[in-house]
Amino acid sequence: MNIRIVLALALATTALLSLPAMAQKSGGTLVQITQPEPPNLAPYISTSAPIGQVTAKVFDGLLEYGFDLKPKPSLAESFEVSPDGKSITFKLRKDVKFHDGKPFTSEDVQFTIMEVLKKNHPRGIATFRDVTAVDTPDAHTAIFRLATPAPVILKALSSYESPIVPKHIYGQGDIKTHANANTPIGSGPFKFGEWRRGEFVRLDKNPNYWRAGLPYLDRLVVRFIADASTRTAALEKGEAHVAGLGAVPYNDAKKLAARPNIEVSTKGTEMISPMVELLFNTKQAPFDNPKVRQAISYAADRNFTIENVWFGFGKPAMGIISSNFQPSGLFAPGIDFTVADRIERANKLLDEAGFPRKADGTRFEFTHDITPYGEEWQRFGETIQQNLAQIGVKATLRYEDLPKWLKRTYTDYDFAVTSNFLFNLADPVLGVHRAVHSDRIRPGTVFVNGSRWSSPETDALMDKAAVEPNEAARGKLYAEFVQKVSEASPIAYILEVTYPTVINKQFKNVIDTPLGIYGNFATVHRE
Amino acid sequence: MKSGSLGSYIARRLLQTIPVILGVVIVNFLLLQLAPGDLATVLAGEAGGAPKEYIDQLRARFGHDQPVYVQLFNYMKNLLFLDLGYSFRQSAPVLELLLKRLGPTLLLMGSTLVVSLGLGILMGLLAALWVRTWKDHVISVVAIIVYATPLFWVGLMLVLVFSIWLDWFPTSGMEDVVAFHEGWARFVDIAHHLVLPTLTLSLFYLALYARLMRASMLEQRGLDYVITARAKGQTERKITTRHVFRNALLPVVTMAGVQTGGLLGGSVVVEAIFAWPGLGQLAYQSLFARDYNLLLGIFFMSAVLVVIVNLIVDVIYVFLDPRIRIG
Repeated sequence: MNIRIVLALALATTALLSLPAMAQKSGGTLVQITQPEPPNLAPYISTSAPIGQVTAKVFDGLLEYGFDLKPKPSLAESFEVSPDGKSITFKLRKDVKFHDGKPFTSEDVQFTIMEVLKKNHPRGIATFRDVTAVDTPDAHTAIFRLATPAPVILKALSSYESPIVPKHIYGQGDIKTHANANTPIGSGPFKFGEWRRGEFVRLDKNPNYWRAGLPYLDRLVVRFIADASTRTAALEKGEAHVAGLGAVPYNDAKKLAARPNIEVSTKGTEMISPMVELLFNTKQAPFDNPKVRQAISYAADRNFTIENVWFGFGKPAMGIISSNFQPSGLFAPGIDFTVADRIERANKLLDEAGFPRKADGTRFEFTHDITPYGEEWQRFGETIQQNLAQIGVKATLRYEDLPKWLKRTYTDYDFAVTSNFLFNLADPVLGVHRAVHSDRIRPGTVFVNGSRWSSPETDALMDKAAVEPNEAARGKLYAEFVQKVSEASPIAYILEVTYPTVINKQFKNVIDTPLGIYGNFATVHRE
Repeated sequence: MKSGSLGSYIARRLLQTIPVILGVVIVNFLLLQLAPGDLATVLAGEAGGAPKEYIDQLRARFGHDQPVYVQLFNYMKNLLFLDLGYSFRQSAPVLELLLKRLGPTLLLMGSTLVVSLGLGILMGLLAALWVRTWKDHVISVVAIIVYATPLFWVGLMLVLVFSIWLDWFPTSGMEDVVAFHEGWARFVDIAHHLVLPTLTLSLFYLALYARLMRASMLEQRGLDYVITARAKGQTERKITTRHVFRNALLPVVTMAGVQTGGLLGGSVVVEAIFAWPGLGQLAYQSLFARDYNLLLGIFFMSAVLVVIVNLIVDVIYVFLDPRIRIG
């Protein structure tokens, strides 16, 4: 075995020397760690986080995005929005073939949007709600017909969010239990090779990929390792090369960053925008009082949490909309809860709200539920518990498993305050509206409006922003909206997580989209 | 003992296990109903939220909108035809998922049984022969320490020492996913990956068997038949190997049979640490996803495994001790 490695090294060195200095080197196997193992490889019916980390490499989207969240061509060479915003015309590439050799046409776009995503995709149902038809005047033109303008659509066409699937395959049989659910066929840079459950998914280079000369890698292997320490060990030893989105514990990411062969990047969450928050049950005393909610928001020590719980991988949240939307002009800050005299303000608010300190120094107590996503959430709960003790509020922590917690928070509303982890995603319409809009108060639906707070003004602002084609005008609507939400504070926004992606320095250009590890890895290459 | 009677014994025992396994299935099914939350909400949760219509649609597809007794009846009916149902979360038939995981689990269990029994018996035997010398004390103390150490800690330390520091073994997985060896090289590669998980899981049982073997040897040595043998003029060596050793094995074999259930449980931890693609990990994942079809399938498979191993143990008794008769 050793002889073979030496030989391979010798060959590789020779190859390297004979190449022009600037050319990207082809070949090699990249091992990515994804946690947990995806339940299936059907991104068109599920947005489960690990699925996209695999399938974004297999499928293409109509568009891709730059770090400024501006669209870039992909399967669509160009697009044009009509002046009234009610139709979008996509010009499609003519040289694209699916992995089975059949050509990609506008039929596939029509089928994917109308039959698959609009009907079955957990977020697509909302994103494409206003698409009434997709016209296909010729094989390489697809026209989206909309009931109302929906600027969100142009943000939601990446290979991760809206993968284009071949009609001749996925159109056969029931899409929900499709035979190819675990053996995806797309047009992306990598072809599905093999999935050994509990071990890995192997993706092989697509030699007929439409971007000439790409991908550089011969193979991509996605490994599944249940134990966090073992994941770290595998990365440290170079058995695996890339891991992100929480696959490596934050403290381990910090340790790994110190190693010479490893780089830790915090780019690649610009279109995901995860937010750590405290969700209040606004239908129940004492959290039906906005003053109490604001007081809790003031009391939460955001900087301490970032440094000590998330090991520096985050920044203080400034409102319901993530600062990642700054480049697109949709961001605006709400009330600043990080001011120096925040504890005094919190105390004052609670006094005003009618919760004076009792003889023992406490005001009231409640049970704080913890998001069951891992250890850092437990520590977050403890941090908040200590912060609240400063203002005389006693929190008791409760930790349950995911199904139980989901049911408690989103079906039974049997909670007072719970921590929560909600993503802003590619556009506020996708990730933000769901948290506070009155039409998203739906018992039994998870990750929607769990606080059950809403107001006619904020509803109206969101409805307007959803159909406003002009970005600047949208930004103004959102600025007013953010201010109103932060005055009511149905949710205390604590921090924006900047997920660390751990990358072996052998590989370059791993994170080249705002979707990070949800990118397609076509341009990843060895050094 | 005639082979015919052995065959009919095994057949009868297998027949007797059917009600046991059915009982296990029914109890498990009812127990799982008690856990709050269901697969539909988990799927929606994993998807980062979904409209209510989507969740209702899922429930109807899973048959979770039916009363519990109807669900149980349907499950049992399908089980008769070895149809373990479909895992909606993993988009694959349960039986297919189980069979894929059975190989690695049997490999890990098998190698652990061999290593822990082999070394455990050897250590117990030596300790008994060297009883009350410093060697006996060393073996006993080591056994107690190993027995008391948590599995996950042993696993992580082995990874740290033998994988990261010494670079002798890979950290995890069942084979090298960059090289993808074939044929003999693949066999060697899998064996190489098997060492650390087997060692981790074996250490605990090894300690158990060693202590049991030592006690059993000492007990047997004091019995009348040993004095008789000695009176017949047999050598000590022969007494130990032919008489004492064989009889002392019985409790160890019994314990090994009883421990197979525990071995499956212990393998959940070891499989998680070493990313070993066995049933244990699958069980763990499906529990937290409320993937009941899959979980029931795993319970069913585990029950069958435990029953079969115990049957094998009973048959081994007969060979070890001719006094034990089947029937």
